[in-house]
Amino acid sequence: MTTEHGTGGTVGTNGIHESHLSHRRPSCQARRDLRNGLLFAAPWLIGFTVFIAYPIAASLYFSFCEYDAIRGPKWVGLDNYRTMLLEDDLFWKSLWNTLDMVAFGLPVGLVASLGIALLLNQRLRGMAFYRTLYYLPSITPIVATSILWLWLLNPQIGLINVLLQKLGVANVPGWLTDPAWSKPALILMGLWGAGGGMVIYLAALQDVPEALMEAALLDGAGALQRFRHVTLPMLSPVILFNLVMGLIGSFQYFTQAYVMTGGGPQDSTVFYALHLFNRAFLDFRMGYASAMAWALFLITLACTALVLRSSARWVYYAGEGA
Amino acid sequence: MQGRQTANHRGCLRPGRPTRPVRLVPLLVAIALILPGCARVPHHGPTEIVYWTGWSGHEFDIQRRLVEEFNRTHPDLRVRILSQFGNSGYQKVRIAFAGGATPDVMSTVWADELAGYARRGVLTPLDDYLKRVGRDLEREFTPGVARMLRVQGRVYGLAATTNTCFIAYNRAIFREAGLDPDKPPRTIEELDRAALACTRYDAQGNFLRYGFRPGGLGTWAYVFGGRWYDPDTNRITANDPRNVAALRWMASYSQRYDIRKMEAFQTTFGSTETANGPFFVGKTAMWFTGEWAEQYIRRYAPNLDWGWFPLPYPPGGRPNTTASGGSVFVIPEACRNKDAAFTFLNWLTSAGPVERFCLEIGNVPPLIEAGNRPSFQRDPLRRFAVGLAQGVNSFGPPPIPIWPTYAREIGRAEEAATLGGKDPQELLDSLQRRMEKELKRAERELAR
Repeated sequence: MTTEHGTGGTVGTNGIHESHLSHRRPSCQARRDLRNGLLFAAPWLIGFTVFIAYPIAASLYFSFCEYDAIRGPKWVGLDNYRTMLLEDDLFWKSLWNTLDMVAFGLPVGLVASLGIALLLNQRLRGMAFYRTLYYLPSITPIVATSILWLWLLNPQIGLINVLLQKLGVANVPGWLTDPAWSKPALILMGLWGAGGGMVIYLAALQDVPEALMEAALLDGAGALQRFRHVTLPMLSPVILFNLVMGLIGSFQYFTQAYVMTGGGPQDSTVFYALHLFNRAFLDFRMGYASAMAWALFLITLACTALVLRSSARWVYYAGEGA
Repeated sequence: MQGRQTANHRGCLRPGRPTRPVRLVPLLVAIALILPGCARVPHHGPTEIVYWTGWSGHEFDIQRRLVEEFNRTHPDLRVRILSQFGNSGYQKVRIAFAGGATPDVMSTVWADELAGYARRGVLTPLDDYLKRVGRDLEREFTPGVARMLRVQGRVYGLAATTNTCFIAYNRAIFREAGLDPDKPPRTIEELDRAALACTRYDAQGNFLRYGFRPGGLGTWAYVFGGRWYDPDTNRITANDPRNVAALRWMASYSQRYDIRKMEAFQTTFGSTETANGPFFVGKTAMWFTGEWAEQYIRRYAPNLDWGWFPLPYPPGGRPNTTASGGSVFVIPEACRNKDAAFTFLNWLTSAGPVERFCLEIGNVPPLIEAGNRPSFQRDPLRRFAVGLAQGVNSFGPPPIPIWPTYAREIGRAEEAATLGGKDPQELLDSLQRRMEKELKRAERELAR
């Protein structure tokens, strides 16, 4: 009954009410605008529905199925989740490896990019050059970076170990050949990409009000105190942003391990996403991999929620109650 | 109804806007343009066969030349060859199967995957076709290859190439270490002794050269007399005592040598088949490799004084053991013209083309007739490799659907024993339990 004008925003009204509402009925122009707007957005809407929304929904369904990508999916209930939690030793190992990266790699990366940003926030000649220099690695393709670092991290002839030996370190680490050092090696390599976070910090540092700095200076605050009580609180929303993005990124850590170690030595770099990939594309257990993906989603969601909850206590939004 | 009337009443149609039928014209034109592209135009002339190959570069060129020759000699058929190389090429195969959009013939299936595909019903069994042209798999092919092409009693693929494994050794290093280069090791004990004799350290205890480091538990288990799967009982045999013995022997190298240092030393020389691979630059005396080694040595170390010997074996083990795998030629179930596809496949896997292809790319022919031809028998290394492939101890991947997973897990167990110092018995017991469960799960899934 109301199909035609329903698109105009009066869905659910019937004929009786129409006369009362007629003044609110959108004009032809508005309806045309809406239609045109939808038409213009259609490529994205269709793309989103077909390539994102549908696959997400399908993967949830597949996670309850046995699915080898050749024959149709078959419902198996919670089987995949049960196998994952109770029988797959690599699931736990990979989760543990990933949490390791989150717990150690993420803070190290955050501190490093903040440190570099602070250094590059000085007023020095040629600062733009240095900033570019530090930012460059983060736009280098990860695969290229990984291959380069394979050489740098070579235990016997790599530059890093040669340098360590020159410095008098007798027992140089085996880096990617040693399960105890493989994750630190990847974290070390990750620092090379600190430029991405650095740029965001740099932008935020420009926003720290001069007036506050001056006031602190007049009150006799030292450099450390100014950093602790002015810069850091002003930066805290950006730190939160970098923390959340870093958290999500760390849980999805994949490319470097795929390219450089393939999960070795001794499973020490089998990260969650790598294990998921192997289950999906080597074993072709798409249902199981979908279940893993949803578990990862829930874990990431929980961690992000925790961080966001805690943020009320340490993030300061300028202007808020000021 | 009411709504429509209101809308018309409001006169929403813009003046000058074409009426409905007129507006449809561009759409109709578009459809008219697109449709002929979708329709299959009935064509006269040769039947076309689409062939996906996993080979690329030089090897692809030779496949293409063979295809051209086939097209010349078979005027009623026309084969179109496409290269789908690399991991993405082999993954594309799975997607093609899923969508039923497969070519007519393909060689882009790894021997490891054959059973998985066959059991899922996406491959054409070739038994009837073979019978029709009078071919006999077991009589024509090497035993390892014939075994791997049969899944649950039926033939699902044919092979044009196979590989062997043996140990290449540096004769100069043997001489320097006081070993007789004309009497390479024949037993595991002799191999261990030779490995130790060839190893050299610097003053700090770093490796200058290592004799040998065993790798590839999948193969060494066969050398020790073990196996991974028993086809008669359809049982996983991961913890066969002889498999355990093989892994124990491999792990013994970690006790005899500082394995971390050896690992670090090895990585220094990049991968084994590059210009500075440790064997080419004289940093290892022995290299677990195959007949393809010859091409690399010719390219990277043409002056190397080298020889080869079959994998040494322990008492009760298997002499002349070799493992093979590689690409398999299949006809997908979705193929529209199976007779034509088989005509091509039959030709491509006959002695002539197989001989030429294997000679050109330096592989071993899986066909006994091709391997027995002078081109292979005149050259000592080729004759040796052909002998290994044709011997009774040549093994292909077991025809079970979980083999890709199983093979990866064998690799993990090997690493855990040799690098992680874990107990071989425990590792293989655990592997046995997990793979039994995995096979049961796969069988359940396939039975549905």
